[in-house]
Amino acid sequence: MTATTALPAPRSHVGLLGWLTTTNHKHIGILYMVTTLVFFGFAGAFAAVIRADLMTPNHPLVDRQMYAELFTLHGTAMIFLVIAPFALGIANYMLPLQIGAPDMAYPRLNALSYWLFLLGGLVILSGLLTRDGAAAAGWFAYAPLSTTGSQGNGMDLWAMGLLLASASSIMTAINLIATTVLYRAPGMIMWRLPIFCWDMIVTSLLILMAFPPLATTLALILIDRNLGGHIFDPSHGGSAVVYQHLFWFFGHPEVYIMVLPYFGIITEILPVFSRKPVFGYVGMVLSTLAIAGLSMAVWAHHMFATGAVLNPFFSAMSLLIAVPTGIKYINWIGTMWKGAIVLPTAMLFAIGFLLNFLLGGASGVMVASPPIDYWAEDTYFIVAHMHYVLGGGSMFAAIAAVFYWFPKITGVMLRETWGRLQFWLMFIGFNATFWPMHLLGLAGMQRRIYTYPPLPGWGLLNLIATLGADLLGVGVLLFLWNVWVSLRHPVPAGPDPWGGFTLEWATTSPPPEFNFTALPQIRSNRPVFDLRHPLADGPARQSAAEAP
Amino acid sequence: MPGGTTLQAGEIHRVWDIFLLTATAIIVTVYVLIFWSIAVYRRRGEGLPPQFHDDLPWEVGLTLLPLLIVTGLFVLTYRAEVRIEHVAADPPVQIRVTGFEWSWRFEYAGGGPTVTGTPEQPPVLVLPVHQPVRIDITSSDVDHAFFVPAFLFKRDAIPGFVSSFQWDLSEPGTYRGECAEFCGLDHAAMNFTVSVRSRQAFADWLRRARAAHPGPATALPPGGRPATRGGALAGPAVR
Repeated sequence: MTATTALPAPRSHVGLLGWLTTTNHKHIGILYMVTTLVFFGFAGAFAAVIRADLMTPNHPLVDRQMYAELFTLHGTAMIFLVIAPFALGIANYMLPLQIGAPDMAYPRLNALSYWLFLLGGLVILSGLLTRDGAAAAGWFAYAPLSTTGSQGNGMDLWAMGLLLASASSIMTAINLIATTVLYRAPGMIMWRLPIFCWDMIVTSLLILMAFPPLATTLALILIDRNLGGHIFDPSHGGSAVVYQHLFWFFGHPEVYIMVLPYFGIITEILPVFSRKPVFGYVGMVLSTLAIAGLSMAVWAHHMFATGAVLNPFFSAMSLLIAVPTGIKYINWIGTMWKGAIVLPTAMLFAIGFLLNFLLGGASGVMVASPPIDYWAEDTYFIVAHMHYVLGGGSMFAAIAAVFYWFPKITGVMLRETWGRLQFWLMFIGFNATFWPMHLLGLAGMQRRIYTYPPLPGWGLLNLIATLGADLLGVGVLLFLWNVWVSLRHPVPAGPDPWGGFTLEWATTSPPPEFNFTALPQIRSNRPVFDLRHPLADGPARQSAAEAP
Repeated sequence: MPGGTTLQAGEIHRVWDIFLLTATAIIVTVYVLIFWSIAVYRRRGEGLPPQFHDDLPWEVGLTLLPLLIVTGLFVLTYRAEVRIEHVAADPPVQIRVTGFEWSWRFEYAGGGPTVTGTPEQPPVLVLPVHQPVRIDITSSDVDHAFFVPAFLFKRDAIPGFVSSFQWDLSEPGTYRGECAEFCGLDHAAMNFTVSVRSRQAFADWLRRARAAHPGPATALPPGGRPATRGGALAGPAVR
C-alpha cells in the first residue's frame, strides 16, 4: 500500500451547501445510507407498535384504522425506503471504488435519483398528516380495496410517493450499469469484477424490468381513484385478478432486488475473513443470473389461492430457484472451508445471515408447493418466512456491510465489543420474534388482524414474539450508541483494517475526492490481496501485458 | 397438526410432512457444515490457508443434487394437487359462498337456505360428513379469502370471478373459519363457523332451514348455534 499512502488528505468538511449540491458518488452514497437509517427508524417504530398491539389476546393497543396504517407503512417503508435503497446507497459508494472508477457514470443523474428518493419517501409518510390518515390497504394495495372509496388521500400520496421512488430506482439502475460497463479500470475484465458488483448489475437489470410495470400499476391506481378509470373495477368489466398479476410481476423480482445485493455483500465479507478467494466465482455469477431469470417467471406463486392461475407452472419455477440459491450456499461454505477464519462483528452478522436466510429459503420452498400454500398463505407462516428472508437475511447482511465498510467510509473503526453484543441481542431477538410465527401461522393466525382471540397457544407465542422484538430494538439502539461513541472517540482505521481483497482497500479511508491517484495491477478478482501476497496461489492471474 | 378433517387436508398434510422432513435434513446438514467451518478452520498465525477457489466435480454434483430434490418435490406436489383440486361435476351439496365487507353469505343450491352473517353475528356453514361438498366462491366488493385452518385450506374470494373447490369431510365437529385476505377495517372480525354433521343431522337441518327460510334469509338458520357472545371477536369455541 506504499503507493497509496502519499495521496492528499481527503476533504473532511463538506458543509450543508456541499451536501445539498453534491454529485460525488461517495457523498450521495452516505446520503442514501443515512436517509434509509432514518426511514428504518420510522418503520421499526411502526413495527414496535404492531408487536405491542399483539402482545396479548383481545387487548389491542391501537384501533383497527391505525393498525392498518401501521402495517401498510411498515411494509412499504421497509421494502421501498430501507432494504432496497440501502443496497443502492452501498453500491453508490462502493461500486465505483471496487471497479477503480473516479465516480459514477452520470453524477448529476445520481444526485437527482437521491433527491427523488427522499421526496418519494416523504410523500408516502406525509399521508400520516392527512385528515383520513395514511394509506391503509397494505404494501401490496390490492384493488379494488385500494381504488374504492374506503381509502383517503393517504392512498393517493402513497401511490405518488412510490412513483417518485420508482423513477429514482430506475435512474440509479441505469447509472450502475453504465458505470460498470464504461468505467472499469484497466485490467478489470468482467470475470475479475467483485461479486458484489456482479450482483448489483443483475439487481439493476431486475429493477429495469420490474419497476416500469410497478410505475404503470401505480398510475392505474391513481387513474382508477381520481379519474374514474374502472380498470380494476369488476362492476365495469375491470379485473381484480389482473391487478394481482401486474403487482406481483413487479413484486416478486422486487424480492430479489432486496436480496441479491446482500448476497453480494456476504460474498465480499466471507472470503476476507476466511483469508481465501471466493469459492466458485463463475458459479456465483451464473447462479445470480439464474435467480434473476427465474424470478421473472414466478410471480403468480403469490396467487396460488386465487384459483385463477396455472399453479403447477409457477410452482415448478419457484421450486427451481432453490437450485441456484443452493449453489450459493455451497460456495459460501466452500469459501470458509479450510480457511483461516476470524470472527469480527461483520463476520458474525454474515454468519447470522447464512443461518437465518437458510430458514427463510426453506420455508420459501415449502410455500412454493401450492398444497402447502393453501394452508400457509396469508398466515403468520408467511410473515415468518419473509422476515427470515428480508430481516434475518438482508437486514443482517446490511449490518454486516456497515461494520465491514464503516472504517472505509468514515476512517474510524466501530467498537467491536458493542458490535458483538449487538449481534447476540439481534440474533436471539430476531429468532425469538419470528420463529414462533411459523407455529402461529400453522395454527391458523391470519395476517393483518389488529386483535385476536385467546386460542390455545396464540397468546404465549405472540408474547414471545413481542419480547423478541424488544431485544431487536435494544440491539438497534446499541448500534446507534456504537456509531456515536466511535465517531466521538475515533480509533483510526487506516486504509485497510481487515486485510481486504478489492480495490476500495487500496486507497485511503475515507477515499479522496476522485478515489485513486494510483491503482495496483488488476490481475485477478482480488488485486489488493495480490499486492500483499505476490507469491501466493490463487485465481489465475495474467500479467498486465496479457490482460485484454 | 390436524390432517384428518377432510380428504384434501390429508393430502396437504402428507405433502407438508415430506417437505418438512426434506427441509429439516438440509438445514441440519448445512448448519453442521457452517459450525464445523467456524469451529475448526480458525485463523492461527499469519500463514495463508490453501488458496483453492473452485472444484468442478463437486460444484456440478452439488448442483445436480438439489435439482433432483426439487424435481422430486415437484412431482409430489403435482400429484397431490391434482387430487386436492378435483371437483365433481354435480355433487349432492353445492354452496355458493360470497364474501363482502365484512362477513359471508352462504347460498345452498336447490332451494336454499341463504345464510348471511355480520361481523357481530358470524354465520354458520352447516355441512354433511362423508359427502362431497362443492363450494363456488366469489366476492361482492373487495378481495377476501375463505380460510378454515382445521381443513388446512383457503381460497380467495375475488369480485367478478368465481372459483370452485371441493371438500370431502371426514370428521363431524365445529371448526373456526376466518377471512385471510386483508379487506379493510373489520378484516379481523370477518369470521365464520363450520359445523360438520352426520348426513342424517345435515338432512334434518336442511329440511328445517328450507321450511323456515324458503327465500334468501338474513338471520341464522334454525339449528345454527349462536356463534357469538357479544364482542365482534368473541367467536364460538373451537374444538
